[in-house]
Amino acid sequence: MKNKKLIWILLLLALWQAVALSGRVSPLTFPSLGMILKALVSSIMAGELLSQTVFSLVIILEGLLIGTLLALVLAIVSRTGDTMNSFVDTLITLAHPLPGIALLPIIILWLGTGRSAIVFIIVHSVLWPLLLNIIAGFKATPKLYSDVGRNIGLRGIKLFYDIYMPSSLPYLISGFKIAWARSWRALISAEMVFGAVGGKGGLGWYIFKQRVFMDTAGMFAALLLIMLIGILIEEVFFNKIEKQTIRRWGMAEK
Amino acid sequence: MIELKEVNKSFKRDQDTLKVLENISFTVEKGEILCILGASGSGKSTLLRLMGGFDFCDSGSISIGSEAVVSPSPDSILIFQDFNQLLPWKTVLQNVIYPMKVNKKYGSEQQRRDRAMEYLEMVQLADFYNAYPHQLSGGMKQRAAIARALALEPSILLMDEPFGSLDALTRQSLQELLLQIWKRAGVTIIFVTHDIQEAIILADRIIVMDNKPGRIKDIVQNSFDRPRDISGGDYLELYHRLYSMLSV
Amino acid sequence: MKISKRFLAGLLVLIMILSTGCAKPAETKEITIAEQFGLAYAPLQIMKELKLLEKNQPGVTINWKQMGNTAAIREAMIAKEVDIGFMAIPPFLIGWDKGMEWKIAGGLSTSPVGLVTNRSGVASIKDLNENDRIALPQPGSVQHILLSMASERELGDSKKLDNMLVTMAHPDGMNALQAKKDITAHFTAPPYLSQELKDQGNRMILSGEQAMGGEFTFIVGVTSQSFYQDNPQGYKSFLKALDEAIAYIYNNKTEAVKILSKAYEMSEQEIEEYLDTEGVSYGTEVKGVKSFADFMQRNGYISKTPKDRKEIMWDEVNYEE
Repeated sequence: MKNKKLIWILLLLALWQAVALSGRVSPLTFPSLGMILKALVSSIMAGELLSQTVFSLVIILEGLLIGTLLALVLAIVSRTGDTMNSFVDTLITLAHPLPGIALLPIIILWLGTGRSAIVFIIVHSVLWPLLLNIIAGFKATPKLYSDVGRNIGLRGIKLFYDIYMPSSLPYLISGFKIAWARSWRALISAEMVFGAVGGKGGLGWYIFKQRVFMDTAGMFAALLLIMLIGILIEEVFFNKIEKQTIRRWGMAEK
Repeated sequence: MIELKEVNKSFKRDQDTLKVLENISFTVEKGEILCILGASGSGKSTLLRLMGGFDFCDSGSISIGSEAVVSPSPDSILIFQDFNQLLPWKTVLQNVIYPMKVNKKYGSEQQRRDRAMEYLEMVQLADFYNAYPHQLSGGMKQRAAIARALALEPSILLMDEPFGSLDALTRQSLQELLLQIWKRAGVTIIFVTHDIQEAIILADRIIVMDNKPGRIKDIVQNSFDRPRDISGGDYLELYHRLYSMLSV
Repeated sequence: MKISKRFLAGLLVLIMILSTGCAKPAETKEITIAEQFGLAYAPLQIMKELKLLEKNQPGVTINWKQMGNTAAIREAMIAKEVDIGFMAIPPFLIGWDKGMEWKIAGGLSTSPVGLVTNRSGVASIKDLNENDRIALPQPGSVQHILLSMASERELGDSKKLDNMLVTMAHPDGMNALQAKKDITAHFTAPPYLSQELKDQGNRMILSGEQAMGGEFTFIVGVTSQSFYQDNPQGYKSFLKALDEAIAYIYNNKTEAVKILSKAYEMSEQEIEEYLDTEGVSYGTEVKGVKSFADFMQRNGYISKTPKDRKEIMWDEVNYEE
């Protein structure tokens, strides 16, 4: 499976290079792999690409953290009774279909265009899918586990933490996968719209700036980096977590 | 020691109310093995859940010692028929240690570990202490569940057809194992089953349940010496007596 | 192995399509012009409304595109979707530096631009400190280059203010300045400039001319090499129509104000006020290219300067430095 993917990637790269070198396309629209790689290396060496990437990743982490905490709190609240359950359900119904970018004009009015606005968008794109998955995970927790938990003396928050949480881990992980993908996309788009404050605007801003200065190779270099980070997180990070938890525990088929 | 007085229980399904248990009264003596024998639908599992405090009865009372049963307690552990009662995210050893830890049994983690290993040896699972539940067979999982229950040193084990889904050979060896452990631990066992043979092998007394609604048909004394060889004629007589009661 | 053979065949087909698909028909029956929003583009609205280009070039369809920023116009011109584009000089120079085959066809307008602040006690950019935030459209925009020029001259370092910049479109920047929160200064152009200056608390601390140290054309018209070569008649008609449109604004002011009032959804009085603003003028002469180019090359925004005006302007352009 892995090898097949690699072959496809190599073929696509070859196709790219063939088109770039055909002489029929301008390097302004279709830079060669060499130009892209050179741009990647030089912008990394210059430090800016990496510092913008770190800026973006820190924002993502912040948004993920706040979003996760909120999702957990809301999930617990939703289990305290029918009233709260329907309240949280309503919130999800209303907010989940809203793309973060569509909220942008309102966020600018409320929070301005600074860092907090982007964090807000990330939180929004993380919170709802995660909350949905956590609740689904709780619902899917076998009664057997909670019976066992109550039998050995677990109650309330301890029951929640020791039984419901690990039992919904497969849902939690897939929730995180969705949350990561959404927040990463939302971040890049928000950064492209918001522009930079004090020169720091993240990867999205970096791409926008390369566009403004017509550095097409530099744009693709940043895109390449975005892809690499995406692959790294999805294929390596989540894969590793799954291997060490739910696959090891035989819970992955859910 | 355990006393049930005129326990009634019904479930609502749509508009209908389904009477599951009617006027159940009996007592369980400390240290005995009591089997509740009945066909499916006789409410025997419901009865066990009530005794464990997992559910409330509509009327009547259940008490252990002098205290009414209101919620599940680590002093009476329920063992289910379902193999998946072990927590899949913990190894076999962790599954056994964890309830002790929750109940602050023993002073140190090392002591808990030692105790857990003892119980795992008792159920012949010591070699698998580091395995995860999904790597075990059904019989091994049930043995681990028994070890986990025993490690808490409860005074009562509530067993809900724990060997019901196992093949005949495994079931037999687990029945023998249970009897050995029972002798050593001196625990009171209430064992629900639909298997007449199993009831004869295990029980000091057998409560035979009637169907729909579940009522006590008879309480049969079973005072054969252990170990019991059910091929003998006396056993056969008891078997037929129970069988005829169940099939009416 | 069958699959990879089939794949290679597909690959070949794709390459063939890509390598033949870009040819353009020789005779052009359409001319596409791209502009941006703002009163600096007023002659184009006249040209559009009075169909001046259509009159000079019968039988040709004229398409008008209004685009959000210069980068989009540049990209459309690379893709040969746009023949004539209007923008400020710095973005044009960036495209030229990167190898775009295009040249300036003529000027369009001169306009006052300036840096407005809402912070009392700030009299010049020397008084700005690291807590100030300056809103402007984007790096590489004429506003950014002008501010950098002033920074180089007055503070000795063209990039000294870069860490205070916040990228915002003009309307957002105006709102942010009026909100008096984090944004303390805004480099902008009409009509936002005059609107901001109506507020007593706001002052202009730097004008475009001060920053540049001389006059400069705000918006120029740019055409691609291919349009210039393949469609000389269209090119000539376009220049003629542009002249006519500009003349119309000055000779038929009442009519022009009416047209513009409709086009910009502003009152006739506002339009008139704007046209009478000092520093606002329309004309095809081009000024300030060399100063921009020298500055931008010196500070690394472009890699080279034009050795000759021919490199960046068609012969017909009325150019003065």
